[in-house]
Formats: sequence, structure tokens, C-alpha cells
Amino acid sequence: MRTKKVRKLNDDTRWAWVMLLPNVIGFVMFMLVPVVATFVLSFMKYDMLTPPKFIGFQNYIDMAKDPIVWEVTKNTLIYTVLTVPIGMCLSLLLAVMLDQNIGFRRFYRAAFFLPAITSMVVVAIVWQWIYNPDYGLLNYFLSIFGIEGPKWLLDTRTSLVSLAIVGIWKNVGYNMIIFLSGLQGISNSYYEAAELDGANKLKQFRYITIPMLKPTTFFIFIMSVISSFQVFDQVMLMTKGGPGRSSSVLVHYLYQNAFQYFKLGYACAIAYLLFFIIMAITIFNMRMEKNMREIY
Amino acid sequence: MKKKRLVAMSMASLMAVTSMGFGITAKADDVVELTFMGWEASPLETQAVEDGIKAFEEQYPNIKVTYTPGLAGSEYNAKLLSSAAAKALPDVMFVAAESYRQIASKNALMELTDKFDENYPLDDFIASSRQIMEIDGHIYGISSCTVSPIVYYNKDVFDAAGIAYPSSDPAECWTMEEFREIAKQLTTEDIYGVYGLETVADTLNAQILSNGGTRYNEDYTQSTMNTPEVKEVLETIKAVRVEDGSAPDASTLDAVGMSAKQMLQTGKVAMLVDGSWSLQELAASGMNIGMAPMPSYGEVLTTGQAHLHAISATTEHPDEAWEFLKFLSGMDYQGALVKSGLWMPNRYSMYEEDAVNEWYDENVHGDSYRSMLDYFRDAAVDPTALQPSAQARDIIAEETDMYFKMDQDIDVTLQNLDSRIDAAIADALQQ
Repeated sequence: MRTKKVRKLNDDTRWAWVMLLPNVIGFVMFMLVPVVATFVLSFMKYDMLTPPKFIGFQNYIDMAKDPIVWEVTKNTLIYTVLTVPIGMCLSLLLAVMLDQNIGFRRFYRAAFFLPAITSMVVVAIVWQWIYNPDYGLLNYFLSIFGIEGPKWLLDTRTSLVSLAIVGIWKNVGYNMIIFLSGLQGISNSYYEAAELDGANKLKQFRYITIPMLKPTTFFIFIMSVISSFQVFDQVMLMTKGGPGRSSSVLVHYLYQNAFQYFKLGYACAIAYLLFFIIMAITIFNMRMEKNMREIY
Repeated sequence: MKKKRLVAMSMASLMAVTSMGFGITAKADDVVELTFMGWEASPLETQAVEDGIKAFEEQYPNIKVTYTPGLAGSEYNAKLLSSAAAKALPDVMFVAAESYRQIASKNALMELTDKFDENYPLDDFIASSRQIMEIDGHIYGISSCTVSPIVYYNKDVFDAAGIAYPSSDPAECWTMEEFREIAKQLTTEDIYGVYGLETVADTLNAQILSNGGTRYNEDYTQSTMNTPEVKEVLETIKAVRVEDGSAPDASTLDAVGMSAKQMLQTGKVAMLVDGSWSLQELAASGMNIGMAPMPSYGEVLTTGQAHLHAISATTEHPDEAWEFLKFLSGMDYQGALVKSGLWMPNRYSMYEEDAVNEWYDENVHGDSYRSMLDYFRDAAVDPTALQPSAQARDIIAEETDMYFKMDQDIDVTLQNLDSRIDAAIADALQQ
């Protein structure tokens, strides 16, 4: 009986592997191999036209001395600081609002989710028009109140903020849906008990909703940080990093080095700088999350 | 149960195979298949390329050309480099002039120096094209044509303002002062006098050279932009917008959702400084268009450059690829694009009267273009095409952006230009 069970288990495991095979092959070929290859290439001088040459840590040394790397890293950090907290707060706010029993809530959910599934190319075109200093909707709206709007994408002081606004707008609906699923997983009994104890809505939100949403919040935070550090398409489409280098970010500079300046090895080193920054933030957050869990 | 497993296994295998991108291609033994990669600058250009391939295949039934179009600019370079890394460079390809030297230095292109003879003389190529093609006496690509910055104007706007058209004869070329004055007169509440000066990528060099400035030293190892001549040009460009109020902010028009050409067509701008390639689209629009040389700062000139057609060093069909390359620079292909207004010819023989009569089209080139033929033929080589680092273009865009849009000090801008371009050159020469 036991042998039969073990055989069945082995049989099931084998079949599970067979069924997973396409995914595993895809992961190894398109994720694992490139990640390892990128690491190896970061120690090479490689222009994609001639064979790579091993140069040790030279790319990393050059990177440390390259002022543009630090400028674009700073821009990337600013973009992250602008998009992640504001985007998460807005997502949570919307999720809480649309978790209530209000009319047309399905419509609102779909409407807020729409930017997440809209092509970035379309989004970029629409927002370029909105941001246009002379003909754009935003400055027209501001002019109604007598405010002379800035030049948005065409000004070094506002270009990155303008991109961040688009980033928040694009991702807020996606995070809202995840928060909504988290909210719906919280049992009503907690709120009923709190209400009996005399807790008002604000206190319920502070002492029930926020702690119970912690795993969801943690997930959204990590994913948002990763995606904001990897921002590229809207930069490429809307500003190409300009004016000057005011809106250039790490991945944009990486792309320029790899495909415009014939320095793929150097670009791989930048990719690993990005990797280590994201890894450091993720580890820090996991520790924080663990500590918080122990406190609660 | 067994049957179910069999089906599951087949599906899993199928998914695995398709996820790896396996495909099956069939090729007839007696037909050579050439792969060809280019970019799509406009639907009209794409159509011209496809028509050209069709004509070539009719002439050479043993050669089939498979065309892979790509995006223009840096995206094209990305595609080309990725193909090279995957050992899948096409047999024949477009190569941007500003990347040509770097790509050729990596031995990625087949040398063509010995292919020229009395039937296909190198001497026939105009000076600017030949300078671009030759690298230390060796040739790795054939210049596709020549293109140069000029001034387009909307005749209707001039007529409405009662202003005489500028002369298209370079001998009577307008000066920069005259140009600015006309731009001011044409500017109204709804119309900008001129656009295209601050989008410096394709038009700045002609102005610098006209003012006696240079972009590089003789051997292109150092940037030479920090000079009074370049300073004067940049200050003049900015003054057209800031002091004269004749030009909109750089990039503003593009952001409206209309291209600069569309703004010229609709009379929102009276004059457009742009490459000669724009003639195809402007002529096809049926607008009442006029052309004039670039305003002169001193010397009357324009710059010439164009992408090259090259053969991959790893091609398995060098002879067929060479036939195709010759076809691309012949009358059937280059001639058709010249006739359409997209290109200008890059061979002296095509500027002789009989040849001009073959490609000159009054409906496209109008009555004024004829007086500018020598201007194109004798264009100075665009320094961008000979620069050792493609990064210089980005640096110029970034620094001039800071000067034009953010009021960065002009002297700081010029110092930054030289120091950053020098560093990029040093880096490129080390690679």
C-alpha cells in the first residue's frame, strides 16, 4: 500500500515536472541564462560586433568615475520617491473608496484600471498633448485660475515630475485592484467587534485595515519599487532623457550605452548596479517586514 | 488515463518547441536568398524600398531579397547590434553615416575597395559622399545618396504678407540678418516666422561651417566647438526665438501632435529649416512650396551626408550582395528616390544636364530647385558623418537643450561640449 503511494507520488511529481517543462525551459532560456550572461559580460569589453574581452572590474571602476551614472541614479531615486509613496497612497484610497457599497463601483473600478492596460505609446502621446505648454489641457486648466503653467516636459525642473505623474496615473489602478483583493480578504468580524468596542471608522482603518493589509502593502511596495527603478518606456517616448539629462534614468542610460555607444559590457555593469540597488531595498524591506510582524 | 497523458505530453512538447521559437523555412536550391535590413523613415520611403526590391528581383530572378524594416535612429542601431551579437547580420544593410566608422572598425562590414573600376568609378562620387565612404583609403559601404539642410517656405504665407520670395540661387543667397528680418516680418499672432533652427541635429553644422567654425580638428580626435564662430551661431539661433520672437520653443510644435512639416503645410510656420529629404513629403502634399539655400553667415554652403549601403563581412553571398548594392545606387533605385524628392544624387554624372533631365521632376522639384543643384553637389561633408563617436550627437542635443531651453551660460555650454565630446572620442578610440 505504502509502495503504491510512493510510486504514485513519484509518478505525480514526474508529471508535474513534465507539465511545468515549457515554463521551466522558458525561464532558464529567457531569464536565468541572460541574468548570468549579463553578469559575465559586465566584466568584459563588448561592443556586440567583436568578441568580448575580459577586463576585470574596469567597467565598475569606470562606472564609479562616470558622473552621468550618478546623475541618472539620482534621477531614478527621485522618480521612485515621487511615484511609489504617492502612488500607493492613492491606490489604497481608491481601493477603500471602491470597496464601499457605492453606485457604479464596477464602472469606477474598470475606469481606474484602464490606464494599466493601455499601451504606453498611446499614453505618451496623450500626455504629451496634455503637457504641451502652449496648447495643452493642463496649462489651459491652470490658466482658468490665472496660473501660468510650467513647460512640463520641456523644462529641466519639471520634466522628471511630469514623468512621475504619468507613472502614478498609469499604475494606480493596477495597485488599487491588488489592494481591493486584500481588503476583501479581511473578515468583517474584526470591524463588527471594533464597532462594538466603540472604535470609529478612522480607528478601524488604523488598527484593523492597515495591519491586515500589511502583506499586500509589502508586495505592492516591492513591485512598485522594482518597476519604478526599471522605468524606461515613458522616458524614451516622452523626453528621451531631456531636456539635457534632467529626465534620464538608469535604464535609459544603460540602453544608450548598449545600443548607441557600442558599450554593452559597460551597460551590463550598469544593469548590475541597478540589480544591487533593487536587491538592497528588497532585503531592507523584508527585514523591516519581519520586524514589524514580530512587533504585531 | 494513458490517452490523457499522451495528449498532455504532446501539448507540453508543442508548447516547449513553440516557446523556443523554432520555425521551418523552405528555400529553393537555385534561388539565392539575400537578407536586407533598413529603416522606415516614412511610408513613402518604405514604398520606394519595396518597389526597388521588386524591380531588382525582376532583373535578377535568381536572387530573392527578404527585407526587414526597422525603426530609424538609435532603435535601428539597437537592432543592427543585436543581430550582430546573434551572428545574424543581414547580407545587405543600411548603416547610418555617424555609426559607419565605428561599425567598420570592428570588421563587421565587407571591404568593397577593389570593387570599383572604370565601369563603376569611385571618382564619380561627389566629394562629400566619397569622404564618408573612405576610411583611410578603404571602403566598406556605398553612400546611398546625399541630403542637405535647406529652407522651405510656404509661398501662400509670403504672398499674404506681401513679401518677395527669397532667391533660390546660391549666388544671391540671403544673409542671416536678411533671413531674421524676413522671419520677423512673417511672424503674426497665428504664424511663426521660422522653425527648425533649435532642433540642431541636422542643421547646426551647416551654420557653423558657414560662419568659419569647425566641429573637430583635422584628424577628428578633438572637438573644436568652443570658439567665437560657434558661439555666434548658437547665440543667433537663440536670438531668433528670444529676441525676435519669430520662432516657437524648440520641440513645441512636435508636441502639438503635428510634425514641423505639417505646420509648414498648414501655414502655422512660414519657413522651415529642414533636410532636403522633406521635399518628398512636402511636394506630395500639394502645398505651394518654395525652397532656398540656408542663410549665410559668411560662406554660402550646406552640408551633405547620407546613410550607406553595406554588405555584412559574414555574408555567404558576396557576389549577389554586391549586385544588389550596385542596384541600390543605380538609376532604378536611387534615381527613383531622387525623382520623388527624398534624396539628391551623389554622383557627378547625375548632375550633368542629360542625367538631370531624367530625374528632375517639375511637379516635385519646382522651378527653383534647378538653381540649387551645384549647391547640393558641392556640399561640405557633414562633420557628424566623420566623427569617431556616435555619442557626440547626444552630447550636442543635451548641452544645446540646456542653453536654448534652460538658459545655461553659453560659455559653459561650449566648454561642456568640448570636454564631453573629447572624453567620448577618447573612450571610442579605446574601444
